[in-house]
Amino acid sequence: MTVFARACRCTLPVCVVSLLMLGLPLAGLADRITGEAPGAFIVEDGKVDPNTYQGYIAYTRSCMACHGPDGLGSSFAPNLIRVVERRGWENFAGTIASGREVQPGQVMPSFADDPYVMGNIPNIFSYLRARGEGDLGRGRPKIIESMQEPDEADNEEAADVGDDATEEADAAEAETPSTE
Amino acid sequence: MLREIGYALTATGLMAASVAYANQNQLELQQNPDFWATQLGNYQGNRFSELDQINRDNVGELRSVWQFSTGVLRGHEGGPLYVGDGRLYIHTPFPNKVFALDLEDEGRVVWSYEPDQDSRVIPVMCCDTVNRGLAYADGRLFLGQADNTLIALDAESGELLWEASNGDHTVGESNTMSPLVVHDKVLIGISGGEYGIRGHMTAYDVETGEQVWRGYSTGPDDEVLIDPETTTMLGEPIGEADLGVSTWPEGEWERGGGAPWGWITYDPELDLVYYGTGNPGTWNPEQRTKDGEPADNKWAITVFARDPNDGSVKWVYQKVPFDEWDYDGVNENQLIDIEYEGEQRKGLAIIDRTGFGFLLDRETGELLVAEKFAPETNWADDYDMETGRPNVSEEYSTYRQGVDVNTTDICPTAMGAKNMQPSAYSPRTGLIYAGINRICMNYEPFETEYVAGQPYVGATLTMMPAPTQEGDMEGRMGSFIAWDPVAGETVWKVDERFAVWSGALATAGDLAFYGTLEGHVKAVDIETGEELWRFKTPSGVIGNVNTFMHEGKQYLGVLSGVGGWAGIGLAAGLENPEDGLGAVSAFSALGDYTKLGGVLTVFALPD
Repeated sequence: MTVFARACRCTLPVCVVSLLMLGLPLAGLADRITGEAPGAFIVEDGKVDPNTYQGYIAYTRSCMACHGPDGLGSSFAPNLIRVVERRGWENFAGTIASGREVQPGQVMPSFADDPYVMGNIPNIFSYLRARGEGDLGRGRPKIIESMQEPDEADNEEAADVGDDATEEADAAEAETPSTE
Repeated sequence: MLREIGYALTATGLMAASVAYANQNQLELQQNPDFWATQLGNYQGNRFSELDQINRDNVGELRSVWQFSTGVLRGHEGGPLYVGDGRLYIHTPFPNKVFALDLEDEGRVVWSYEPDQDSRVIPVMCCDTVNRGLAYADGRLFLGQADNTLIALDAESGELLWEASNGDHTVGESNTMSPLVVHDKVLIGISGGEYGIRGHMTAYDVETGEQVWRGYSTGPDDEVLIDPETTTMLGEPIGEADLGVSTWPEGEWERGGGAPWGWITYDPELDLVYYGTGNPGTWNPEQRTKDGEPADNKWAITVFARDPNDGSVKWVYQKVPFDEWDYDGVNENQLIDIEYEGEQRKGLAIIDRTGFGFLLDRETGELLVAEKFAPETNWADDYDMETGRPNVSEEYSTYRQGVDVNTTDICPTAMGAKNMQPSAYSPRTGLIYAGINRICMNYEPFETEYVAGQPYVGATLTMMPAPTQEGDMEGRMGSFIAWDPVAGETVWKVDERFAVWSGALATAGDLAFYGTLEGHVKAVDIETGEELWRFKTPSGVIGNVNTFMHEGKQYLGVLSGVGGWAGIGLAAGLENPEDGLGAVSAFSALGDYTKLGGVLTVFALPD
């Protein structure tokens, strides 16, 4: 469950709230959906907030193999950018948790047993909404510089990494000391 | 006839008496040009037919005689088998149905079989729920199910004879490949290179399903079945022990991939099987370095030559040490007898993922030729023929560029300049015919953590069509090529809108056949590539065109049904490198041309 805990460490509303407290100029940013509801995102010059970035990584890791690159769908699984536009948060999260049998042999599997995916559902939702409503382009986005955690901003190597990814890297190094 | 095979076996110093039966049957069948008894047409993987009833002069009259819907929607790889009993044997993607169809009665279902599988295997299949087809020997059909169960069916009745478990889908192992019967054994590899599995090739007894040997792709020599004193690399003994452990950071070989999920070929005279292994573990090369330096990650992306009797490794050739691009080395090893520098050689030719066409000596593993068949290939300038190693271009090294750096415009893409689609070889022309991919990528590694049963990828990638070269069709993402494996040159090519993801066929009728992702089956003049015939099937073709003769009539059979990695990566279209930032890409989307649906189409000339 460590992955779950890590992925949930910074839920999006918290990030947005902390951003507001920092007094950053939120007004005038290109695209954003903020607030308490899941699916909040910020897109600014093609860059995104850390949780939306994490949503991209989670999407490519666990969703892309069926739903295609950048949420665009494949020959057998639907375009998810359009899905999140049509369906709300509860339906989206519920489908990931419960799965869905569209017809025999065409199955959306349940990810209820996958803590990484379950912990990232809000981030994936944010990413897909950013792709649709936020006009976020294809490919791996960068994180908005001002939203990176201070210790990361100091470290150029980690500048583009989400906070969770950095922690994963630390964990990986700890597990495999001989890589050093 | 048993004695003839026994002779061949004893001639190579092997026990023959009790083992020859199945092998004899498969050899006999594949030597009869009327049959298509193994997925690649013969043990050598040549996908060549001596049949010439359908030829350059009359192929324009070829027509569909019947079609059969499999009722399964996802990507249909592989093709029908014909062993002379008036039936076609076909398979489907998950749930891996098997059908025996009456060739004389427009595909009436003689029997069908559907395994009962845990659908939780589906999300651990990286690249669609494909299956590359059945194997046959001595009245038995063999199927590798998605959930790693290998089964034997009675070809007459469809009755299940035995089943064996070859892996565990809950840790990310799955199966897509076609088994191969050699002697009294059925050989099968495994998939899961994107899930941190440890690849292996395993032999089972054809009679009982009992495991006979297993050779891993990584790890200690006694588990890879290498003897460093006798197993050779580029013609010399390996020498150093346990390179499958020492060329990895601590313990990483245990999740080191090297999944052999492609095709196996076999040389009955040398009594050696050949196959390639997939990518090493995570796609993030940084996590596979040792002491901060690139490490070879043996024996991922390696051609193995093994003794099929006990699995022992005769020779190895690692095509890509320290992979930085996911260039799975699983492509088929075509066994071809050629003249090289004035000498007859037993050759082994590969149209490889890397964009390079290799030619090796299949007795010794010596590297003879390594030239680019996909001209845009840029990750390496060339191969050092002494060391057998690629000269990697710093600019396209995702390791040198670094973690969280987007290395751009690498050619070919991780899909490879050719993926699983098997090539054909005509001994009459001496050329290899292959559908290839003309796609490049941006690749950005990131740190990832291994969790059993979870994706272990550690890189994101985006793809775009390869830059257009002079004479290329505008916007092409694939080609069908005739390749001279000795000269290392493309003799002719035909460009296609999409990657050509179907297996090729060459025939003595001076024809080459292939399918397109839009759903065309095409026949071209084997000398020039000129298109002579086409037929539009209901869905994209990622299966293979097979041919056979029944009651004096030559047929062609092909499975259509779009999917595979092509159906995932190309469905929505690629980014057009010509578009400006923010432009809405209008680049060809496969989804605009074809939709799902598995269909077998059988063709013949009019009476």
